[in-house]
Amino acid sequence: MKTEDFLREVTALPGVTGNEGAAAAYIADAFRPWVDEVEITPLHCVVAHKKGDGPKVLVCAHLDEIGMMVSAIEEDGSLRLQSVGGVDPRVLPGMRVRVYAQGGMLLGVVGATPPHLLKDADRKSNYTWDTLYVDLGMSPEQVREKVRPGDTVCFEARYVELKNGRVATKTADDRACVAIMLAAAERLNALRHHADIYFVATCQEEIGSWGALVSGFALAPDYGVAFDVCHADTPGAPANSTSKITSLVTSKGPYLNPFLVKKLEETAKSNGIELQVSVDPRSTATDADELSVTRAGVPTVLLSLPIKYMHTNVETFDMHALTEGARLLALYLAQVEQSWEDELWN
Amino acid sequence: MMLDTLKTLLAVWGPTGQEGQVAQELQQMLADKADAMRVDVMGNLIVEKKGQPGGKTLMFSAHMDHIGLVVTDIEDTGYLRVTNVGGVSVDSMRCRHVAFGNGVQGVAVCQPTKGETAGMQHLFVDIGAQDRAEALTMVQLGDVCVFAPDCFPVGPHRFASPAMDDRCACALLAELLLQTDAPRNTVVGVFSVQEEVGLRGAATAAYQVAPDIGVAIDVTAWGDTPEVKLPAVKLGAGAAIKFMDRSMIATPCVRDALMAAAEKAGVPYQREILPFGGTDGGAIQHSRGGVPTGTLSIPCRYVHSACETIDMRDMESGLAILKEFVNGEY
Amino acid sequence: MELKTLCELNGASGNEGAVRKAILEAARPLCDHVRIDRMGNVIAYKKGRTGNRRLMFSAHMDEVGFIILDATDDGLLQFRSVGGIDPRVIVSKYVLVGEKQVKGVIGALAIHLQSAEDRKRVLGYDSLYIDIGAKTKDEALADCPPGSYVYFDSSYQPFGDGCVVSKALDDRVGCYNLLRLLENSYDADVTCAFVTQEEVGLRGAHGAAFDAGADAVIVLEGTTAGDMGDVEKVRRVCEPGKGVTVSFMDNASIANRELYRELLALAEEKGIAAQVKRASTGGNDAGAYQRTQQGVRTCVLSVPCRYIHGPSSVVKLSDVEAQYQLARAFAEQA
Repeated sequence: MKTEDFLREVTALPGVTGNEGAAAAYIADAFRPWVDEVEITPLHCVVAHKKGDGPKVLVCAHLDEIGMMVSAIEEDGSLRLQSVGGVDPRVLPGMRVRVYAQGGMLLGVVGATPPHLLKDADRKSNYTWDTLYVDLGMSPEQVREKVRPGDTVCFEARYVELKNGRVATKTADDRACVAIMLAAAERLNALRHHADIYFVATCQEEIGSWGALVSGFALAPDYGVAFDVCHADTPGAPANSTSKITSLVTSKGPYLNPFLVKKLEETAKSNGIELQVSVDPRSTATDADELSVTRAGVPTVLLSLPIKYMHTNVETFDMHALTEGARLLALYLAQVEQSWEDELWN
Repeated sequence: MMLDTLKTLLAVWGPTGQEGQVAQELQQMLADKADAMRVDVMGNLIVEKKGQPGGKTLMFSAHMDHIGLVVTDIEDTGYLRVTNVGGVSVDSMRCRHVAFGNGVQGVAVCQPTKGETAGMQHLFVDIGAQDRAEALTMVQLGDVCVFAPDCFPVGPHRFASPAMDDRCACALLAELLLQTDAPRNTVVGVFSVQEEVGLRGAATAAYQVAPDIGVAIDVTAWGDTPEVKLPAVKLGAGAAIKFMDRSMIATPCVRDALMAAAEKAGVPYQREILPFGGTDGGAIQHSRGGVPTGTLSIPCRYVHSACETIDMRDMESGLAILKEFVNGEY
Repeated sequence: MELKTLCELNGASGNEGAVRKAILEAARPLCDHVRIDRMGNVIAYKKGRTGNRRLMFSAHMDEVGFIILDATDDGLLQFRSVGGIDPRVIVSKYVLVGEKQVKGVIGALAIHLQSAEDRKRVLGYDSLYIDIGAKTKDEALADCPPGSYVYFDSSYQPFGDGCVVSKALDDRVGCYNLLRLLENSYDADVTCAFVTQEEVGLRGAHGAAFDAGADAVIVLEGTTAGDMGDVEKVRRVCEPGKGVTVSFMDNASIANRELYRELLALAEEKGIAAQVKRASTGGNDAGAYQRTQQGVRTCVLSVPCRYIHGPSSVVKLSDVEAQYQLARAFAEQA
């Protein structure tokens, strides 16, 4: 499958943290042609195993997405929402959302009291979860029949191709990185590798990297490679917090193993792949944080795909950066050798 | 039966970190009905009832600890300076009867704050000592006090107590173990320690038990008193089955199995979506390679105060759900 | 190994290589087996005469420091702390940057050029920079690329009445005492873990704890002393000169009650100066040990340390000795 087609389909699927079944099933199928074994774990991580005779490497990118849950149904049939993961309620007014009810998906519109009816002071304050609701365009009786508290709600999904190979879509965070893993798995079929590779599309990253934690425990890898998105340059962003959108970024800092980072930089350089560096003085807020301390510890590197407008339905990235990222990942994994062990702490 | 068990457990002193007396009481209560029973290095009481061949291992966790105040210093005047153990608010501690493990009693007091927001530094405990030397004959630095044990009825169905969080769940789990014979699945009841400071006991217990499925039993907040609307959970409308809180999003298959058990038992239940808080469920779900986990909640008003209030009808609903759940096919 | 030598080594969280190397060499002749684990911890094992108990002592090798993010066009290095360093204490301090130990100073806008409003403001990391004398961004980054670690350029000096002043006393005092513990022989099997990354989230200890198989873990730490200046009497936490502190709880762990009482009783019996830490603030590696796998009994013994996490922290050597004596007495118990 072409990467674009995979992305278009996988980003449209619902996979709100904790309820990732649909996205997991699709991703498992996509990996099957390129690896030896694929498994979906009880918590909905997808584990795709490409066998080798060398060190065990766990590569992960998360398949879950931020979203919402119905917290209550009001007298008039409007739905109140609760955030799952870091949803900014200010992006919601006027958005079309998908409510995944027992009997099927329902289209909803996020409404709020119109500005005309608000006092001046209230108009200056932001929308909050208390002031927003979902309108299903049905009678309260119909709503109560179809919808229950606890049903999940997703952003609308449209895959928009912008100029210069840029793409805007829901859930580029982090299924664009799942696409990188998938493309790398395909490329590895044409390369020799010793590494015993587990590609893991992890669940529950958005509320604490739980999928990476339990996968790290279950698989007990020698090395870890975590993939996530980072912020691309946008006007007004604080200094030292963004990267160019055109290439991948690797991070340096206490949570990441310096030897593995050095090897990654060497791989990029010798293959003419652009790789930016950013610095995380403490936690990286990605799967790398938990993966690196599972069991007795897993020396880990982090690769990030820069995106704009993170945690919205229009997360925007550069297809060229994604393709080059897959090339880098495949080449890096093909380099992993038993001898790395001797150099790890030099 | 349930009420007697509850009252017995509410009377036992057991703050976070010193749950030993609660574990002892439970051990006596369950000795005849358990297939295996032990207290682990953290102080968790782990009770096992063997299931049928081919059954799964289900871990249930209810925490024994409750919040309190630890003595950090003693003034020359004999007053104790304290800080919180777990989520204690100053407001809930104004002029409250407190008790230490050795029987010493006192009054927790908030001193005038001179315009500052009241914090732990403004609290002290008066144990009636004349000076520091006398105080030191009664308590030591590091000793912990809790709201003095209490339990009183509120209306025909309800009871209030300072230790309802989470002794009501301990009572529920104890009754489940007492009333279940030859379940289809192996039932491991964990009476956990140190929940109130971050689910610490349940984490190490889950590691040892390595269950196939986890269920935490805990209290949850309420949405049926003046100016309180969320979570949309009421007292008396049945036990609540959790969808999410800050510690965990319930694994869909377990959550659905709990609701199916309620339907099968023919008891009322509620759906709980909580924007804050956490239970042992989080620690179980994220243990080892990941454990499908849900939480059964007892709606409880005024949580973390001296008057935590529950409805016994919700306890009965919860017990019926769990009795059905342990015989499910997973 | 001398405390001075240990303190003057540079090893911030994630960059403990120099400390690891020195400790590895010092520990090797003192124990039966020593290894580096997956987190970069040094694990030194000493088999006991009878092996009746399996004890673990732990101290962290890492210190707080800084890391370079980037440089301005005119060659000033932008940076952040690694571990908790209050930016109010770092203005106009001397530092060493990167593998080449480039000398630099931490600068800020001169007070004359600050407005009255600015002067009231805390200078945060965004308003501070490291000046190594470079004229351009490229020149600055050539020797100090992003990711370079930065250390206080600060020596170890004895002063006052039995005190020393140095950077990194938290927790090189613990490392120093662990190495001393390895010099004796015990009935118990003793493992000394010199761990990484405590200051950025107790990360090394998570690895050391896994499959450690200890009956008890004693963490040797440096802890905040609040006994000076305007601190009210009831907020003083612990006081240098009054001995090793024993903690009943902190934000990361609650001490095993029996172990806590046993250590206090042991101190009294042996005449070792000890004090109860009079607060539950802070957190340390005991939290990681206690909660890994099936859990283990833990307790924390700390040396009171003034001006902790700065270039000039202060301890009293008698407290360092008391920490050692109490840990040793505990290890020697039947």
